[in-house]
Amino acid sequence: MRQKLFLTLLLSFTLLTCGKRSDVVELQDWNFGGRPRLIEFLRQRVYSFEKTHPGMKVIQSDKSWNMIREILYADFSAGAGPDVMNTHSNFAAEFGPAGFYYPVNKFPDFEEVRKWYVPHLLESTRYKDNYYGLPSSAIAFVLVCNKELFDKEGITPPRTWSQFREAAKRLTKDADGDGVVDQFGLVLMGGDKGGFAYRMIPFFFKAGVNVMSDDLTKIEFNSSRGVAALKLITDMYQVDHSITPGFLAYTHSEINDLFCSNKAAMSIEGPWFRGMVDDKSPGKDMYVVAVPVPDDMIGQYETAPTLQDMVMYSINAHSKHLNEAWELLKYLRNDEADMFWMTQDLGATATTLHALNSPEAQSVKDIQLYINELSHARPWPPHPSMIAIASNVFTPYCQRAIVGELSPKAALDQAAKEAQHILDAKK
Amino acid sequence: MKKALVVSVMIVLALLVLLPVLWTISTSMKPLNEVNKCPPQWTSPTMSFKPYSDMFFYLPFSTYTLNSLIVATSATALTLLIGCLAAFSLSRFAFAGKDIFLLIILLSQMLPGASVIIPLFQLLRHAGLYDTYLGLILVHTAVLLPFVIWLMHGFFQTIPRDIEDAALIDGCSRMEALRRVILPLALPGIGATALFAFLGSWNEFFFALILTSSDSTRTIPVGIGLFVGEYLDVWNQMAAAAVLFSLPPLILFVLTRKTFIKGLVAGAGK
Amino acid sequence: MKRLTPYLLLVPALLFTLFVLIYPLIQNLINSLSDVSMITGSSGWAGLQNYQNVFEDALFWRSFRNTAVYAIAGTVLALVIGLGFALLLNLKLGKFSTIMGCLYTIPWVISPVVAGFAWKWLLNDNFGIVNFWLSYAGIVPIGTTWLGDPGTALLSVMVARVWQFYPFAMVMFLAGMQSIPQEQYEAAAVDGATMVRRFFYITLPNLKAVGSVLLVLGVIWSFNDFNMVFVMTRGGPMNSSMVLPVLVREFSFVHFDLGKGSALSIIIFGLLTTLSFLYLKVVSRGEPS
Repeated sequence: MRQKLFLTLLLSFTLLTCGKRSDVVELQDWNFGGRPRLIEFLRQRVYSFEKTHPGMKVIQSDKSWNMIREILYADFSAGAGPDVMNTHSNFAAEFGPAGFYYPVNKFPDFEEVRKWYVPHLLESTRYKDNYYGLPSSAIAFVLVCNKELFDKEGITPPRTWSQFREAAKRLTKDADGDGVVDQFGLVLMGGDKGGFAYRMIPFFFKAGVNVMSDDLTKIEFNSSRGVAALKLITDMYQVDHSITPGFLAYTHSEINDLFCSNKAAMSIEGPWFRGMVDDKSPGKDMYVVAVPVPDDMIGQYETAPTLQDMVMYSINAHSKHLNEAWELLKYLRNDEADMFWMTQDLGATATTLHALNSPEAQSVKDIQLYINELSHARPWPPHPSMIAIASNVFTPYCQRAIVGELSPKAALDQAAKEAQHILDAKK
Repeated sequence: MKKALVVSVMIVLALLVLLPVLWTISTSMKPLNEVNKCPPQWTSPTMSFKPYSDMFFYLPFSTYTLNSLIVATSATALTLLIGCLAAFSLSRFAFAGKDIFLLIILLSQMLPGASVIIPLFQLLRHAGLYDTYLGLILVHTAVLLPFVIWLMHGFFQTIPRDIEDAALIDGCSRMEALRRVILPLALPGIGATALFAFLGSWNEFFFALILTSSDSTRTIPVGIGLFVGEYLDVWNQMAAAAVLFSLPPLILFVLTRKTFIKGLVAGAGK
Repeated sequence: MKRLTPYLLLVPALLFTLFVLIYPLIQNLINSLSDVSMITGSSGWAGLQNYQNVFEDALFWRSFRNTAVYAIAGTVLALVIGLGFALLLNLKLGKFSTIMGCLYTIPWVISPVVAGFAWKWLLNDNFGIVNFWLSYAGIVPIGTTWLGDPGTALLSVMVARVWQFYPFAMVMFLAGMQSIPQEQYEAAAVDGATMVRRFFYITLPNLKAVGSVLLVLGVIWSFNDFNMVFVMTRGGPMNSSMVLPVLVREFSFVHFDLGKGSALSIIIFGLLTTLSFLYLKVVSRGEPS
């Protein structure tokens, strides 16, 4: 009796989970990360997409940004995964040839669509001969300085490594007079393997160091200048004690906490930071400047490259509705959407020419700095194993050097050896 | 005098033990700017239950709750059904292979999730059950089954055969005897086992984490566990979620603690 | 038909066990001996290469050490605390004891994920209450980081684990104590034994069986524990709190090396089977024949 009842229940659940309607095209759209405001905007955008494209329905799903790679990998290899998703542009090198992302240059109107974007930003979505997505928001990594703390100390944002180190030292102090240091000059994101690498490498780039050779065959980050970059941070941690001691476990939320409560004076961040801090402490101001350059390169302050990252929107190569997904992609990334993106301060720099050249662009905070930095910023080299190398080799060794387990030179040499091994194995 | 000392020690211990719980409750009622105050405070004038309602807007917790309920109830029902039958068989019959099966049951309890997760993930995807209710329910059932059989087996063993034999003599079949005689007697045991099974599925994190990925199937533990470390930290809402999530197990525990403990001791002592 | 009844009753359970437990184990074995990647699937026989990769990986040995420490030290500590609480509850203070017993058991009823989250927040270096109290008492400077320091991360997770597990030990010990025949105590009282002597010569020996079962069970469950470590530290910082179950996920779903992940799964299974047989031996020794 109970058995029959239960079987009925089980059957109804099965039906519930299997039922599908076949007259409407359903698109799965995954949003990774994003602040509440961005998610709000995406919901509205999708709503108006459905209104203007009858017969198409979009199911949005919000997921964690810092597990993006694991989630996508697991789902793609399971034959699951969304139709449309936002992702790192440097996933193009890995997921493109693996057959996960659809080369959007195959769509007939691509040549028209590509004209919407700043050309060298569009290049970030390219791997070999294919483009694997449409640029969404561009990111250049910069130095953010806590205005309140800087003003109180009477110093201006640093431009060289020496000034940087000095500023951090002066901003590390016992702010409330209880005998314990509770304010630190610099906070690092040690708790996110990828995020940490993104914040270390700008120092290398600014010093003129490459991650690998242009032909993507030889690791180069352990050059003497690279070692100097790592040594800067290592000395700040071990000698000056001007870096937050708990950094190894910090992610976005801890850094936000510390910055807002004036326990940290500087951080390496991107365009999202202002909005993120504003959500938590409305009105908190900051100086946003380029990442400092080595002392002997001050002449190249305006032109030395920082790390460029980009979020792009891509289509699942196994999607059953490629054309509809393309329509959604274009709608999410056209001039109109990009204007909203820019004017509503959704956390990154616009990528369409239309938005960047508009009069509204002038009133976006720090836009000049970002446009300038983006014009000569460099992305991670487009090698399929680049992300794995950054997260699983570069980050751990850098962290070990910073806490003193290895010398900077030994750490980078060993990291280079392992990374080279990965590169060689991939041939 | 000595009694007063002991009583006060016990109360202090209780407060210490409940510290994390109390602190979480306190956090769950503070507005966000109070949460990151240094030095931390237990109460603040602006405390309210607002985080509890905010929580449903920030993350789809109503969906997560529904999912957790569906999965836990179904898995409990299914595992009790199958487990009772199996336990009955093991406790009342003598047959070849019985000892081997008992051994398998015991060893399965110790099976690390890590040792089965990858093939399970591939199996579910091939069967089209990845990221579905049914998939997770079936996995939970299988995971809970060894423990349930073990417990029920222990309970059935405590029921004397005479009663059953009497029923058989009166003309009942084995199955009828099971239904009319044994089950009613084993009801407290079944109750305790049901509670364990429900808790096991309700709190389950590892399989739910890896075998589901969309919000529409996500369960609460995964929602809480994945949250930490995102852009905006709403510790107060997460604390509220944690408190609400802990209520069903707590309530169930308080209501059934006698059978709970009796069942635990009887089953585990075997 | 009648002869088949016991087997028929077992069939559903057997099917479940087969598909969800036994098949994956065998598949894992096969995976561990092949060259498998998450994207391309299996591409041929690899023999024992994956196992070699695991054993040559310093991370594996580190995790193994961490897991052993976490399991053994954590369980022993939980047992000691559980015993202590059981002794207190055994003083039979009526309703008061019942209420206290309920309160003391609460950590166990709470989900490991919630417990991990609560402790993570409690141990927060800047805003957590633990640091605040400890620095107030002058024991540690404020801002001491527990989960962010490679030296204390594993320890901190262990504290949370002990907090979660001790009620189980407490309940078992209490039940054990309450089944000790009164005559033993009465005889000892007649002989003039003090409370301490009674504890060591009567209570403890009688609890040896329960204690051994608890020890082995606790070690096995801690060995398997993924949830606590994952939620609190994900195995970091710098892999200082990496334990074997979390490492499987790391190999498989972060490094995407399925072969290595499968090999590790089999190794863990081997370890746990050994421990389980130990458990069986311990239990059977305690049982009256």
